[in-house]
Amino acid sequence: MSGLRRVALSLFGPVLAVVVALVISAVVIALIGEDPARAFGVMTDLGDSPSQQVQSIVVILNRAVPLFLAGLAVAVAFRMGLFNIGVEGQYRLATILAAAVGAAVALPGPLHVLLIVVVAMAIGALWAGIVGVLKVTRGVSEVISSIMLNFIALGLASFLLTGPLRGSPPGASIITTSEIPESGRVPSLNGVLTALGLAEPRSALHGFLPVAVVVGVVVAVLLQRTRFGFDLRATGLSPSAATASGVDARGMVVKTMLISGAIAGLIGLPDLLGTQYDYGTEFTAGLGFLGIAVALLGRSSPLGIAMAALLFAFLDRAALPLQFADIPASVVTIIQGTIVLAVVVANEIARRLALRSAERAGATAGPGPDPGADGAPPPTAPDGGQRARAGVPGTSEDVRR
Amino acid sequence: MAPADPPAHDAPVAGEAPLAVELRGITKRFPGVVANRDIELRVRRGEVHAVVGENGAGKSTLMKTLYGEHRPDEGQILVDGREVVFRSPADAIAAGIGMVHQHFMLADNFTVLENVVLGSEPTRGGRLDLAEARRRITDISDRYSLGLQPDALVEDLGVGDRQRVEIAKVLYRDARILILDEPTAVLVPQEVDELFANLAELKREGLTVVFISHKLDEVRRVADAITVIRRGTTVGTADPRTTTARQLAELMVGAELPTPETRESTVRETPVLQLVGVTVRDAGARPVVDDVTLTVREGEVVGIAGVEGNGQAELVDAVMGLRPLAAGSVLLGGQDVTAWSTRVRREAGVGFIPEDRHRQGMLLDAPLWENRILGHQTRPPAVRGPFIDRRGARADTARIMREYDVRAPGPDTLAVALSGGNQQKLIVGREMSAGPRLLVAAHPTRGVDVGAQAVIWELLKDARAEGLGIVLVSADLDELIGLSDTLHVMLRGRLVATLDPGQVTPEELGGHMTGARTAGAA
Repeated sequence: MSGLRRVALSLFGPVLAVVVALVISAVVIALIGEDPARAFGVMTDLGDSPSQQVQSIVVILNRAVPLFLAGLAVAVAFRMGLFNIGVEGQYRLATILAAAVGAAVALPGPLHVLLIVVVAMAIGALWAGIVGVLKVTRGVSEVISSIMLNFIALGLASFLLTGPLRGSPPGASIITTSEIPESGRVPSLNGVLTALGLAEPRSALHGFLPVAVVVGVVVAVLLQRTRFGFDLRATGLSPSAATASGVDARGMVVKTMLISGAIAGLIGLPDLLGTQYDYGTEFTAGLGFLGIAVALLGRSSPLGIAMAALLFAFLDRAALPLQFADIPASVVTIIQGTIVLAVVVANEIARRLALRSAERAGATAGPGPDPGADGAPPPTAPDGGQRARAGVPGTSEDVRR
Repeated sequence: MAPADPPAHDAPVAGEAPLAVELRGITKRFPGVVANRDIELRVRRGEVHAVVGENGAGKSTLMKTLYGEHRPDEGQILVDGREVVFRSPADAIAAGIGMVHQHFMLADNFTVLENVVLGSEPTRGGRLDLAEARRRITDISDRYSLGLQPDALVEDLGVGDRQRVEIAKVLYRDARILILDEPTAVLVPQEVDELFANLAELKREGLTVVFISHKLDEVRRVADAITVIRRGTTVGTADPRTTTARQLAELMVGAELPTPETRESTVRETPVLQLVGVTVRDAGARPVVDDVTLTVREGEVVGIAGVEGNGQAELVDAVMGLRPLAAGSVLLGGQDVTAWSTRVRREAGVGFIPEDRHRQGMLLDAPLWENRILGHQTRPPAVRGPFIDRRGARADTARIMREYDVRAPGPDTLAVALSGGNQQKLIVGREMSAGPRLLVAAHPTRGVDVGAQAVIWELLKDARAEGLGIVLVSADLDELIGLSDTLHVMLRGRLVATLDPGQVTPEELGGHMTGARTAGAA
């Protein structure tokens, strides 16, 4: 019973957010003189023929995989109370260097892919690690340093692309790195689709999908079932209590940023190894920032993030059909934006509801009809609402008041 | 409703002067607890009326009711004989009631004048009338001898001055009835004296003061009448001139209260904890713990007495490895652990009952079984290898709940849903379950109800008998005297006296804590 209730409460926030976002978007669509019903119809129409529908689903999944990884990267840090805004820079830098390494070496298939993955994760971790080290040694807010490192990473990536790592011929309209040879590519999963009796889609379903699923499971186990995950979540819930329990807050900051960055390093790989085979000026951008939205919507739980990633991917796919229907594709951006805004509000409402129901549960557990047995003030009063922290563990005001 | 005389129920407490405030049958419930029940309070005009009670007895809840911060579920509030309903503090202020909070609500970067007028600025033609504000503040300051300098920056002021600014703020809003919530908690003894002089001035001007405290000596010095609150309800009134501190204490904690006494010594020879010249400095390099040397043996309770803020918290942090030492060393069972991290120290058998359980002892938003793991992340039964043993943690939480009488629906309940006493029992049970050699207990019964207090005392006594060494920091003098085998007094970071708890009285101990008797005993 209580389990069901908890599930309902945890779903309440995101669902409310999506509903509110749809209502607001409908109003906006109506205001720009279009018919909201028609717009939503276009968005949910996956196509007429089976092959079109399969194609739409493949497009959604291909978009969802990097979004999911981006959400995970943000969420790992978020669970510990760290805001890793730098995922964008981490994955862009990781992707270009991984692409360059992948193009430069020749190894047998799986090893080649593995090398690229390891390089990407290492670069992502390294770049995020800078944020962690700055925070514990110099007390620099991770928000500030990760945003600033984004600019450096993007600039660095541009420099590398146009300079030392340039692989495309001079004068080409799109500048790219050299292409990764066949052995470094991940085969598509279209064979699986056809084996399932589905129509062959035009695009290739990312072979990286199972990898993302594995990463999701690993992160879920890490957070929920391991000691390390417990330390991480405890630090996120109460840095002072975690410190008193023996968690080394400084070490946790660095480790968490390394993990977050390593996952961030994977974000670009589905596209790189599945469809693009090189990093160029046209390479998918903005996934790191979308990851923040996805993690928020998914309430930092791997399953929730998967749902959120699918929803965002579904909305992204709708951009093209909307344009065909002469409806501005920015409708999608509006919906996504209002979802993020609404989810922050809705999560807070859900948190308070959960708290109240928890308090009620505690109240009914009393030993019986003796209302005066406990003269204690309400549980939230004595600390004056300490739980509303900025969530920056390891800083001086957290260690001591 | 007739605003005249209140109906004479119960025994009117020598009611010559008219009542400034009367509370009748106030009951206030929060989810899970009845914070106040059938409160009766009568405050005569022009008196200093103390409301005393233990931490968590419901004093602050009552004062919030009187100040309009929340509405009572039952009962009436009468101000000057007229029934009032406060929807917000603004209503209370309009009725002439002002509140001086325990934690000051001042803008540091504003001057005294700006802070006082903030929120009710005098204006002339839409512009701030500073001259008028200055005139009124100077007037208030002179009339009540507050000695305020309107242009001083608040951040430059000491604690006592800040408190006077708070009082001026309230007076500026024409309050006739002042509520002071634990005003002496943040003050050093000299400042307390100054505050009491101010209160006398207020009284002379005919103002009424409601004074919240749990410090009996202070209450007896300053109050004209005392109302005692226990477990959320008023249990009696007392005349400070004829009541002893002992009698007051009994009213406060109830006569049936088991004493913490434990006279039979179980002290063994082996030292568990040795502190040698431990010095901790704050950010400004001032020593907050100054050259402390002490030994805790097996089966010994070493009490640390002191007015709060004299370095006890920092000493606890030093023992737990939460704060770096500037000098000295910490030895655990003869082994130098100065360089060990908190986790390693805990693994080596140090249990910790922190001073502030919400900040340091619990994850409020996590279920009880996760709280069972907290602080024991590396040890069974909650952990197996690198993994959390959820089943083991849940089972052991259920055992703790059973054995330590933690009242909650089950291990999956969120910690925030428990009352303070039950949270504390869970913490004590958790720390005891790990079989520690040394227990660092900071205010182990603060803010818990009387029943839980007795249980916790009993647990500490049993553990001591089994050879546990305990460092006990407390503000409850009876607890310190009753439980300790050795009693140290801490003043401004130093151990200034070592007393025999079998001989010392709370009054003597209090004298040492304020430094009044240091010379004789050191």
